[in-house]
Amino acid sequence: MDSFSTGSSGAGSHQMSQSEFMEQMKLQLAQAYAQEFVETLREKCFDKCITKPGSSLSGSESSCISRCVDRYIEASGIVGRALFKQ
Amino acid sequence: MDPSALSSPEMQQFLNQEKERAMLNEMVSKLTVKCWDKCITGTPGSKFSSSESACLSNCAQRYMDMNLIIMKRFQSMQ
Repeated sequence: MDSFSTGSSGAGSHQMSQSEFMEQMKLQLAQAYAQEFVETLREKCFDKCITKPGSSLSGSESSCISRCVDRYIEASGIVGRALFKQ
Repeated sequence: MDPSALSSPEMQQFLNQEKERAMLNEMVSKLTVKCWDKCITGTPGSKFSSSESACLSNCAQRYMDMNLIIMKRFQSMQ
């Protein structure tokens, strides 16, 4: 395996230190987790709130989406706490 | 970073920690999907009802109970 390096191509790139690598990896993982979460939000809130797609998004649909996002985040917190408090 | 640094103790500890975090994360997100589908049957309101939040919490805990039974059954088949 080649060593990891940062920066754009060219002579200016330098080798990544171990701590830089860890920071990068944490950041990338956090982004991946967030992306996946948002994808689930899209799926769940679309199913709940856009039941009959009309010619435009109605006010009640958009407020349903906002509430759905808030409740889903809350649900994920409840599930997490229920799993780890035992 | 030298490739041999991947096997350093700090790196191993870091990777194990991230692996564990990823597993917990996946478990919470899978269970949230399942319990959301089971417990939130109506349109989401501005607040969970007490029965909705109790259902979510029970759902996650019963899943863990089930997991235990499955593990035991499976082990007894080996």
